[in-house]
Amino acid sequence: MKRKWIAATAVAVTAGLLTACSGGSGDTPKNEKVTLTYANWSEDQSPAMKQIAAEFEKANPNITIKVQTLPWPEYWSTLQVGAAGGTAPDAFWMLADHFREYAKGGQLLDLTDTITSNKIDMNVYPKPVSDSYTYEGKVFALPKDFDTNGLWYNKALFDAAGVKYPDDTWTWQDVQEAAKKLTDPKKGVWGIAAPIDAQGGFYNTILQAGGNIINPDGSASDFASPAGIAGLKFWTDLQAAGESPTLKQLSDTEAVSMFENQKVAMYTSGAYWALRFYKNPDLKDKVDVAPLPQGVKRATVTSGIGNAGYAGSKHPEELKKFLAFLGGTKAAEIQAATGTVLPAYQGTQKPWLDSMPEFHLQVFIDAIDYSVPLPVAGNASEWQGLAPQFLTPAWDGKKPVEQAAKEYQDAVDQVLAKK
Amino acid sequence: MAESTVRRTSRARRGGRTGSTWPIHVLLVIAVVFMVVPFVWQLLTVFKTTAEVTRIPPTILPADFSLHSFETFFSTVPFWSMFAVSAGSLVLRVAGQIVVAALAGYAFARIPFRGSKVLFGLFIVMLMVPSQLFLIGQFQLIRDLKLLDTLPALAIPGLFSAFGTFLMRQAFLTMPGDYEEAARLDGANTFQVFWHVMLPMARPMLAALAVLTGLYSWNDLLWPLIVSPSGENRPLPVGLAGLQGQFGTDYPTLMAGALVCSIPLVIVFLALQRQFFAGIASSGLKG
Amino acid sequence: MTTVATKPVRRPTGRRTGVSKPSGWWGLAFIAPATIGLIALYAWPFVSTLLKSFQDVPAFGPATFVGLDNYTTLIGDGDFWKAFRNSALYTVIILLGIPLAVVLASLIEQVGRGRAIYRVLFFLPVVTLPVAIGMVWRFIYNGDFGLLNYVLSWFGIDGQFWVADPRFTIYAFGVVGIWMGLGINLIILGAGLQAIPKALYEASSLDGAGRVRQFFHITVPLLSPSIFFVTILSVISALQMFDLLFIMLRGVNNTALTDSKTIVYLFYEKAFVQFDQGYGAAIAIVLLMVIMIATALQFRLQRSWVFYG
Repeated sequence: MKRKWIAATAVAVTAGLLTACSGGSGDTPKNEKVTLTYANWSEDQSPAMKQIAAEFEKANPNITIKVQTLPWPEYWSTLQVGAAGGTAPDAFWMLADHFREYAKGGQLLDLTDTITSNKIDMNVYPKPVSDSYTYEGKVFALPKDFDTNGLWYNKALFDAAGVKYPDDTWTWQDVQEAAKKLTDPKKGVWGIAAPIDAQGGFYNTILQAGGNIINPDGSASDFASPAGIAGLKFWTDLQAAGESPTLKQLSDTEAVSMFENQKVAMYTSGAYWALRFYKNPDLKDKVDVAPLPQGVKRATVTSGIGNAGYAGSKHPEELKKFLAFLGGTKAAEIQAATGTVLPAYQGTQKPWLDSMPEFHLQVFIDAIDYSVPLPVAGNASEWQGLAPQFLTPAWDGKKPVEQAAKEYQDAVDQVLAKK
Repeated sequence: MAESTVRRTSRARRGGRTGSTWPIHVLLVIAVVFMVVPFVWQLLTVFKTTAEVTRIPPTILPADFSLHSFETFFSTVPFWSMFAVSAGSLVLRVAGQIVVAALAGYAFARIPFRGSKVLFGLFIVMLMVPSQLFLIGQFQLIRDLKLLDTLPALAIPGLFSAFGTFLMRQAFLTMPGDYEEAARLDGANTFQVFWHVMLPMARPMLAALAVLTGLYSWNDLLWPLIVSPSGENRPLPVGLAGLQGQFGTDYPTLMAGALVCSIPLVIVFLALQRQFFAGIASSGLKG
Repeated sequence: MTTVATKPVRRPTGRRTGVSKPSGWWGLAFIAPATIGLIALYAWPFVSTLLKSFQDVPAFGPATFVGLDNYTTLIGDGDFWKAFRNSALYTVIILLGIPLAVVLASLIEQVGRGRAIYRVLFFLPVVTLPVAIGMVWRFIYNGDFGLLNYVLSWFGIDGQFWVADPRFTIYAFGVVGIWMGLGINLIILGAGLQAIPKALYEASSLDGAGRVRQFFHITVPLLSPSIFFVTILSVISALQMFDLLFIMLRGVNNTALTDSKTIVYLFYEKAFVQFDQGYGAAIAIVLLMVIMIATALQFRLQRSWVFYG
């Protein structure tokens, strides 16, 4: 019985919507007041989102935007229940690894027409990001921002250990040597943080070793290949050498907090931390960022948040207008000028760089050239959840990396084979 | 009424026992120390700086007294509006549940009707079902009633509680039937008997139920998130959980938030504790 | 409904006094609000979950009937058995808190002045937000700068990563669970203690019995119905443990979570994180069966140890 309501709502809502849109009859009279909700999961970014909403309201006095922030751990369950129940927010942030389930389930507003009618040039967005929100040739979200990874480092700790700051010439070996010199157990300082982190960590090193994460047709993973193992070993070696806090320490205190607390000297992660570090008076003068070190080649995964619309929205026309606005230059400029995040819209990144001149943020933009999209094949949220289970023994030194990688690969492949 | 009985027995027992009570106090104080240490630690942490709490070894007393944590908390979480939501839904839920549970508990305890046993059995079974299992069905009902994002949405599922009904049934079961019959002889109908005679006698248990229901209402996290998709009318635990996401390991701020959000209910409990304990003691929960 | 209701009305009622007992109509009227709520908000969702457990339910789109597939998958699912072991272990630890509660309750009962203060202090965790409790204990358990390890270091004991090391996680939660539940157990047991006639203690004192002897020969047997009740409640709530885990372990990088999931957590994860509501429903139904079996088992066992005076 229950299955019917999901099916019925989804079908009815989408069908109703499609006819409404294609007929162009869904327009509300100009003067009618309409309220749209816009959901995100970041308190850090919420002020900028509100500013963008206010800007949009100025141009569209009949539309009110309510920005709402959900706690990250509850974001996806709330969105899922809401979407299945017909009550999801009108506009919301989407991530590439959740995107497919929503697009496949018909929950997202098709923006293909909007792009044509608003003459939006999809080339202004980094291709890996815009591609990740395209499903069966249709675009369901416009890229909001993007992130590549860099090597964040603490200058004060480098100075104290007498180590030269990282730069774009650094290779894996340089990082390893620096980590060794920077580690000082007596002071409780480690060279680097080596958590089991896919996006900021081992995905990048696997790519740098010349491997793939998921093979191009999305049917199988590549963790147990020589490059995959090399990419994983980069981290397990650092763990084995005691140059990173242990996994247990990193469970109690997340890697980024370790870095903020100045317990680790290097931390590889995305551009999205920039504002937080900048706002922290203890860190502002001590922190900077360099490109990720090179392995066999240069590489970083990239992904970005997309602004998506809910197919069940009561006001699809207004929503499309809003989404187009979110994908445009004005919204990008606000994000950049407030230092919130690296906007996806080409050419609007300058204000972001200027907002935090002390940091060499250009490295994140330069990284687009060698970036690879975050793999999202199959039920991504399911197989990505497998990493800690299978990789922990390798990180803890209890299992050879080769064996853990093989088991991990098999488990991921099993999920990929399901759909 | 019941309170004085409780106090009388305790006084009598004190006289009846031999030996001094100081060894007992020693044991109890040791146990109490374990109980309150987490709270004391929380309180001390609130006044420290983030750098200080991550120092190894930790400091016991705050090195430089800082109120930064409260500033961060109040500037991030819209405390008063969330507090209003928490309080509003608590009042609705407590008032509603008391009425619903008292009526049903009275019927189960004192009015024989066909199917009573079976129905009561059903209530007891529902006690054993993990609450997460009801989430989706409850959400649909609230949605279909067009109550999403409203205060009643937060309270409605909590109005109907198998546990509350069970508790009230216990309370009415243990009451003597004499008053009831006397009232009926005077020509009162069943509702009047219930309302004017039996319910007032159940006051201590009502207080106990009010406190317990208030607790559940105040503490609920997942449900408010699900029924307020637009982000309006969110209570304090939601704000607190969000704080954890945002400030990861800024323990002073987290502890300050935990403290500020917990304190209102602690105050209410302290104010009601006499009635509460008397209620539990006077009736019912003796197994 | 109507047919059921009309009959009791005609039944001759009233006992010795001849005063009429309330009619069944009243009973139904009184029970109606609770029953309607129970059916709409609990029984119906429960039935729909039961149905879902026989279906493959994707996040969005139509479900398909799959018979017992979810259940057979579950039997072969190592994760489920791990969660089952964790929940069982947690429950056993929580049960260890009951003797502690019995001792403390009887100590409090013997105190005259100050009893109210003790009761309030033991009850404080019950009135504190679980989210807050999770945060405080997570901080106390921190392996690097937590209070617990610091205190242990005074005695020369090496610290551990209590919530980050899967070897300890469930035990660490068990301690918090006992700490949180003590207040409730104490008031239930306290109520039971007050029902024990004090004459029994006086008589045994005259016979020269000390406190310890009295505890084992009078308090425990006469309190056994309350102890039984506390045990039933504790087992039900321990098997449903979710909040603590949800708050204390859901950090981005917590590697202990894999090995520390409880049954309800697994249900939550399958149904709400991994878009697999059919499988989630099957987990929930199995959990309900486990709870019911555990409760029935206790009712059976009570004959051998619960003393109804």
